[in-house]
Amino acid sequence: MLLIKKSRERFFRLLSLFIAILLPWVLGILYLSKDKISEGDVLTEVNFKYDTMPRVDHSKFGILNRDFKSPQELTQACLACHNMTAHDVMQTSHWKWTRDYVTDEGDTMQLGKKNIINNFCIGIGSNEARCTSCHIGYGWKDDNFDFDDPLNIDCIVCHDRSGSYKKFPTMAGYPADTEMVFGGVKYSPPDYQNIVKNIGSPTNQNCGSCHFVGGGGNNVKHGDIANELKDISREVDVHMARDGGNMSCVDCHKTDRHQISGKLYSIASTDTNRVSCAQCHSGSPHKDKILNQHTAKIACQTCHIPTFAKVSATKTHWDWSTAGQFNDDGSLKIEKDSMGNLSYHSMKGSFVWEKNVIPEYQWFNGKARHYVLGQKIDTSAVVRLNELEGGYEDPNSKIIPMKVHRAKQIYDNVNNTMILPHLFGKDTSSYWKNFDWQKAATAGMEAAGLEYSGSYGFVETVMYWPINHMVAPKEESLQCADCHSENSRLAGLDGFYLSRRDRNSTLDLMGFIMIVLAGLGVAIHGFLRISGKK
Amino acid sequence: MKKSTYIYRGFERFWHWSQALLILFLAFTGFEIHGTYSLMGFENVVRWHNIAAWAFIILIIFAIFWHFVTGEWKQYIPTTHYIKAQFEYYISGIFRGAPHPTHKTVYNKFNPIQRLIYLGLKMVILPLQVITGFIYMFYVYPDNPIQVGGLGITALVHTAMAFVLIAFVIAHVYLTTTGDTPLSSIRAMITGWEVIDMDEKEEREKHLQQAVDDSVAGYYRIDSEGILRDVNEAWLRMYNCKDRNKVIGKHFSITRNEKNLAEMEELVNKVLQKGEMITGYPVMRKTFDGKAGKHLLSANPVLEDGKITGMEGFILDIHDRDELMEHMYYAVRNSGAGYYRLDSDGKIMDVNEAWLKLYKYDHKDEVVGRHFSITRKSKDLNDLKGIFDSVMNGESVSGKLITRRCKDNSKGKHILSASPFYIGHKVMGMEGFILDVSQLYEKIKS
Repeated sequence: MLLIKKSRERFFRLLSLFIAILLPWVLGILYLSKDKISEGDVLTEVNFKYDTMPRVDHSKFGILNRDFKSPQELTQACLACHNMTAHDVMQTSHWKWTRDYVTDEGDTMQLGKKNIINNFCIGIGSNEARCTSCHIGYGWKDDNFDFDDPLNIDCIVCHDRSGSYKKFPTMAGYPADTEMVFGGVKYSPPDYQNIVKNIGSPTNQNCGSCHFVGGGGNNVKHGDIANELKDISREVDVHMARDGGNMSCVDCHKTDRHQISGKLYSIASTDTNRVSCAQCHSGSPHKDKILNQHTAKIACQTCHIPTFAKVSATKTHWDWSTAGQFNDDGSLKIEKDSMGNLSYHSMKGSFVWEKNVIPEYQWFNGKARHYVLGQKIDTSAVVRLNELEGGYEDPNSKIIPMKVHRAKQIYDNVNNTMILPHLFGKDTSSYWKNFDWQKAATAGMEAAGLEYSGSYGFVETVMYWPINHMVAPKEESLQCADCHSENSRLAGLDGFYLSRRDRNSTLDLMGFIMIVLAGLGVAIHGFLRISGKK
Repeated sequence: MKKSTYIYRGFERFWHWSQALLILFLAFTGFEIHGTYSLMGFENVVRWHNIAAWAFIILIIFAIFWHFVTGEWKQYIPTTHYIKAQFEYYISGIFRGAPHPTHKTVYNKFNPIQRLIYLGLKMVILPLQVITGFIYMFYVYPDNPIQVGGLGITALVHTAMAFVLIAFVIAHVYLTTTGDTPLSSIRAMITGWEVIDMDEKEEREKHLQQAVDDSVAGYYRIDSEGILRDVNEAWLRMYNCKDRNKVIGKHFSITRNEKNLAEMEELVNKVLQKGEMITGYPVMRKTFDGKAGKHLLSANPVLEDGKITGMEGFILDIHDRDELMEHMYYAVRNSGAGYYRLDSDGKIMDVNEAWLKLYKYDHKDEVVGRHFSITRKSKDLNDLKGIFDSVMNGESVSGKLITRRCKDNSKGKHILSASPFYIGHKVMGMEGFILDVSQLYEKIKS
């Protein structure tokens, strides 16, 4: 009796002890292993809806049924009904080619395409008429362009769904007014009657007419958006492919009063109004918990865009210093690489093109810095025309894939400033007419109101272009070993521990020695025991 | 003396081999994650490493429970006793074929170096692996409450401990060959049984200590001033006392009502001053919650260098005895209280002097190893067999009036208490005390 009572007491005492020991474990496990994937987060149930904005048949409006003499007349007709829209449009970066940027000192300045230089065709100043063929306006040919005149807005470059409207490449944003030819392509005056029958929200064709051909040719700049996206298979881009999501640009780049979300940090600077995968897919879309944990530090694009420039090649290197060479007969020297891409042109220098490019990777927190004209450069290193901010220690940073564009371009080797050369124009100083860097530099810097010492050289520059498109089917995403290996794709990122990529060789050596010593010790001890017995 | 002993119990063996397997598997997969070689592929190897880690956690939880339930955790309490001798044995004695300086017993399975190493394994290395492993699994900067500044140090510690564990396994496997024969230790860890060189005296002391600790009989010891110096759990239970500190260092008078105190003082004086032995003396106690209880008390002087320095003995509760038995206990005076222990086959393992006196044997060797049937006449044997069987089923028996057969074939009456003794969950035999009532019985009968 006593023993049974005793053993029961003892049992309950031990049971409570056991529960006490177990409790923290159970709590810990429950806390740590609570499943982060809820029903709605599963990838197959993406939170995506096609835009169902009500549409009207513009061809039925009397005001549009007339013979337009100039594009501005059409704009005026648009604004007659859309009478607040011009105001909205004129707030956008598509119009201003700048965005607000708050400097470290707290000053707000305007920064963007308008005043930032790149390492492709360098900058707009003094070259406007050529560059602004991609502006949503008419007539930005020099500093005198009126940004407050609503009639300068080009509505149809974005809203013509007929696909027939084209701006002429060298006419400051105007379409051809007569039959004209540029680069072997015929440009006709707009067929306004056809266009007004096809007014609507932008198609990939509209966006692509500028964004696919940035830098003066297909896929030159971005690498991940190009003409072929209008018709590709899902292996190239799961979202835009006809057999994939069949989505258009504006399905993700949601728009509010003409403010289109999304930006690229080659020219943008601030962590605002961005497009993210999570707006449809949620922040933890994987069924595997370990993969979801990765989203804290790895951007979706990093794994899901294993390569870019999958169909057409993109430009990865541009050497301006070799420009100005001609064939013996004095004609323009033009060479092509094995893929048929321009590898040399007298007007521009040498190019390197790459296809199926493996991105480079970098920490990024949504903020970027840019070289601003007039700033001194450090010529001992490659000049970074833009710099993506972020790092491992920064909780807002994730690793993103980038296209890196390297170049050699003109700079003032006395003042140590970058030069914005005057390239385009039928005048006596433009480089593309006169092939004289001295004249081009002098004219360009004068137009920009900047000091030029009169001495120039060529300096290595680099630009970082985050990659966001050409998302591959999930089967083709990166595998663990693409980063967790000796040949890690993230080999260039340091300051943090990445398993399998990193290890402490001193520890490995010490561990190895310890194991060898243990083995030797055992062997010697055993030998002595055996020989001692005899 | 060499003796085959059941030394590793079922769970212990399961735990040991599961742990061995898991450590090897975790090391195998872990070093692939580390980048030492490529066999399974990173994704697979991470998945398997995590699965094995969770299995290990579960095993550790069970092992912790087991260690506390069985009291086996005490085996890991470090001691400096013999540690030098053990070192000397490993670096020189072993080559000369010298005997092991320490003896493996069920109560003391590990030598002092093993105690230290295994304790280090349990308290330092494995916890470090578990903690760093958890950080590794759940550390997601920045939304994790634990900020450890990157995985660099975590991975460093985790890898370093993995090296230590591998070195341990090498040494551990080698040292298993230093047993009685090269394979005897490994065989023991498989079957549970090991032939070990036993120090009988040590074994008996250890066992007696445990028998006292776990006995249903209360044990006490007081010094020459009448101050309580030691009591066991059963004593505390009988006195309804939860805190040993309320007892130790106090005068025995706190355990008696005023009217019973004089009687107790008289008894104590008899023992402390005259050196008498008291056996089976019925007394009233005062419990700590103020209630009264009855028990039988035995007392004998504690001798040091021939001088009486205290008194100790056992008490057996008699609160639920029936009237006749109670009277009988009251009447029992000055009979020796004998202690015996039988193994699971019913063979006598141990008896004390008082038992020998009651059974009129001269020396323990005459009975140890023989079946308990020698202590009964054939017609009384079934009684004892019945008791033995029920005890082997885990029951306890007390206050049983029983007839014994002495060495000279004469008979005697005694009251027997019997309870199973355990190793872990397993009944390994029966033990108890006997109190002689022969004369009293004759008297009542007549």
